[in-house]
Amino acid sequence: MKIGVFVCHCGSNIEATVDTATVAAAAREFPGVVFATDTMYTCSEPGQDEIVDAIKEHNLDGIVVASCSPRMHEQTFRRTVERAGLNKYLFEMANIREHVSWIGKDREANTNKAVDLVRMASEKLMNNQPLYPKKFTINKRVLIIGGGVAGIQAALDCADGGLEVVMVEKTSTIGGKMAKLDKTFPTVDCSSCILGPRMVDVAQHPNITLYAFSEIEEINGYVGNFEIKVKKKATYVDWDACTGCGICMEKCPSKKATDTFNEEIDFTKAINIPFAQAIPKKAKIDPEFCTMLKKGKCGVCAKVCPSGCIDYEMKDEFITEKVGAIVTATGFDLFDWTVYEEYGGGRYPDVITSLQYERMLSASGPTGGHIKRPSDGKEPKDVVFIQCVGSRDKSVGRPYCTGFCCMYTAKQAILTKDHLPGSQSYVFYMDIRAAGKLYDEFTRRAMEEYDTNYIRGRVSMIYPKGDKLLVRGADTLMGTQVEVDADLVVLAVGAEASKGASKLAEKLRISYDSYGFYMEGHPKLKPVETNTAGVYLAGACQGPKDIPSSVAQGSAAAAKVLGLFSKDQLESDPQVSTVDIKRCIGCGKCIQTCPFGAIKEIDFRGMIKANVIETICQGCGICTSTCPQGAVQLQHSTDNQILSEVNALCQF
Amino acid sequence: MKFQEELKESIRKALPELDVVIGWCGSFDPLHATPHFIYGEEDIEKLEISPLNVHNLATYLPGMRGKKVGVVVKGCDSRSVVELLQEKLISRDDITIFGFPCTGVIDQSKVKKAIGYVGNVQSCDMSDESLVVVVDDKPHSLKLSEVLAEKCKSCRYPDAIISDYFVGDRIAKKDPAEPNYKELEKFEKLAVSERFGYWLKELDRCIRCYACRSACPLCVCRDHCIAESRDPHWLSQENNVRDKLMFQVIHAYHMAGRCTECGECQRACPVDIPILMLKQKMNKEVLDIFNYEAGVNLKDTPPLLSFKMEEENITEKDW
Repeated sequence: MKIGVFVCHCGSNIEATVDTATVAAAAREFPGVVFATDTMYTCSEPGQDEIVDAIKEHNLDGIVVASCSPRMHEQTFRRTVERAGLNKYLFEMANIREHVSWIGKDREANTNKAVDLVRMASEKLMNNQPLYPKKFTINKRVLIIGGGVAGIQAALDCADGGLEVVMVEKTSTIGGKMAKLDKTFPTVDCSSCILGPRMVDVAQHPNITLYAFSEIEEINGYVGNFEIKVKKKATYVDWDACTGCGICMEKCPSKKATDTFNEEIDFTKAINIPFAQAIPKKAKIDPEFCTMLKKGKCGVCAKVCPSGCIDYEMKDEFITEKVGAIVTATGFDLFDWTVYEEYGGGRYPDVITSLQYERMLSASGPTGGHIKRPSDGKEPKDVVFIQCVGSRDKSVGRPYCTGFCCMYTAKQAILTKDHLPGSQSYVFYMDIRAAGKLYDEFTRRAMEEYDTNYIRGRVSMIYPKGDKLLVRGADTLMGTQVEVDADLVVLAVGAEASKGASKLAEKLRISYDSYGFYMEGHPKLKPVETNTAGVYLAGACQGPKDIPSSVAQGSAAAAKVLGLFSKDQLESDPQVSTVDIKRCIGCGKCIQTCPFGAIKEIDFRGMIKANVIETICQGCGICTSTCPQGAVQLQHSTDNQILSEVNALCQF
Repeated sequence: MKFQEELKESIRKALPELDVVIGWCGSFDPLHATPHFIYGEEDIEKLEISPLNVHNLATYLPGMRGKKVGVVVKGCDSRSVVELLQEKLISRDDITIFGFPCTGVIDQSKVKKAIGYVGNVQSCDMSDESLVVVVDDKPHSLKLSEVLAEKCKSCRYPDAIISDYFVGDRIAKKDPAEPNYKELEKFEKLAVSERFGYWLKELDRCIRCYACRSACPLCVCRDHCIAESRDPHWLSQENNVRDKLMFQVIHAYHMAGRCTECGECQRACPVDIPILMLKQKMNKEVLDIFNYEAGVNLKDTPPLLSFKMEEENITEKDW
């Protein structure tokens, strides 16, 4: 093999701490290397042209580029060598930026390490084989997981683009967190007035199939051909017959059911429709609170239901859907703020979360839009808002900024004045983060026009004083202690990954960060992609996001799906496992360990052999490390390729 | 042995349905036994059950797939059968298992060490406690406990775990709850350099005969072993200790959580390299991490032959 080596300066990123000319000179001595040089920016157009020219001039049949991480530019250079007529797998990358120049300052040591990495790459390259992708047809249907505003946007965009959409929503209605909001910043327009029609569109769109009160049980397959097992949880109500009239809910005698939609500020009935604009507007029974399901006595709802749709015997149902792409829009949940002992740890009824306050402000909420103290139902006069509860706080493991709390706190302060003109709002804040179109103007309005008292400082203590709550905090601008006698305290609770996000990630085979938020393909350049082909992200599941950003991501994910489906066939990645049938003894260990069910037993002239289904194989390599005799080999990472790298490094 | 006749009767009963039954019989001298393939009545009579029956006959089973085979097993051998069944390397329908209570086998290396020259053994008389070997007209009296194989001293499964026919009275399990790794633990306390030095010294005399591999009931790759392949090319054929050690390490890794510690590898070694310790080390780790012991329960899946998103005792997320 004739190998060409290109050592990139990456401007000064690499050259500053690695002597690239020395690396190139050392490479010239390696077996197989006939050409080596250092270049300023190998990924630039002239840099790539240099590779193409060298291949032609020196008749090279393999290329090593020593530069950044393969995650960054492997695809780029593979295309370059392909342009010059080589198979794109006759290319190896040595990462001398993230693995060398960025992590050490010792120029000599860095240079030596870079030489080693280049040597490993060129030794591996000598063991590389040309690989060729196969084509397969795709199923142009898309699954949207989560029916919040991001999922709704993605679903509608895909459906309008002509795709068949399957939407799976965990709760009994779509709408997500946005449906719980009263008004939205910075325009203070009614949340349900702008979201409601979108929800109706989802219900009515001929291309959208909605499974509410359902969860993803299992995901198999691969980009273009996923097979999804959906669990339709038992609602005990035949939704085909239910008209959503609500008589059952009215008559149900079990009045102490948990009202998750209203953030538990009040109770709901054991059979309930979460709110008037719910989509689908269907009743479901909460078996934990239903006397009929618990004790076999009652049956009032069945008696009063005009369409006879109550079915106490209903069981969970499993449905299989085949799709070609998946958009995950599972949103967020609120941080459990009760860890803050200084705010009462949940003991004081008049310390509530911002989302509970939102339900209180909403005309369709349990208080009919009247602000009432949970303790005695009185109207509050002094309302204290505390920001950054479970945000920007390392002590509770939440060092990140949720990003939208500053804005909704300002909105809630404004709305408080609207609802109760005689009231006074106080906001304890750390910094105001109002970066966004018309955002800063909005917070200014809260301060200047609505007379909200913004106090820069943390609250150290809340304790009851008569029927009020004494809020003691610091005013760091004044350098004094502040005490406010509050009637109501609203905590701007931060967002965290939705419950069960990590479990779903494992089913989707996507990665997530230490807080459970899903990892995007690239923090700047691939914001809605994941590292699993065909799986996209929308909304707050990727990180806390306000409504405009969530909607933008929903549309972006839809654009990615439409782009993917613009082709009829996709190419499979040839970096998959293959079985050397001569060496296979049919023990089946690979079949047992494959996480993807990609290996099947076949009969080969009367002998049992293993066989890899290429399109299902994800190239994880577990089978290759399981097979004792090395009969299964992962292409492009074969034992011999890895051994050649190890031998290059560990010479003695 | 008391139940030898009973065992012969069982084999006689089962043989018409079977292609062959594998047991043991006398060998070239009175101090040795050898595997014995029983096809008919005259073969049955030659069957002998004695502490000389060191061989683990389960080793033959994977190579006889498709045949109806009977196999006589000691307690430790039966664990190999269980492991082979778990891994579907043999089929339960094809094999008939004859079990008996084993009181331990003799370690020929120890006998040799005690007597010295064992070239012309004239007789070997065994009782429950002792062993009298006559070599060149000279009798040597040995205590059985002194020449018993190490593995037998801490045996936890003297009766066959799985059997179709069981003869003799079961020995109540001598019951330490966990395997005995005292020797290994002592070795583990040495410094890395001492341990590495030990293995380099021990393995230097390896002649790469692969008897360890051939004797192992779970080394089922046979002709496809990576020790001799070029693709993949894990080992060279050079005569150096590095490759010898590498082979033993590979063998130990392939046995992790599968090895039943029957000790055949070490017994077969013509140069007495203590290679069982490497396998014990892996099993100790497996016991620690997965709380698993190989070849004990037919329904278990060896931990390294399954895929779990998250192992109970490997909490990757806390790293």
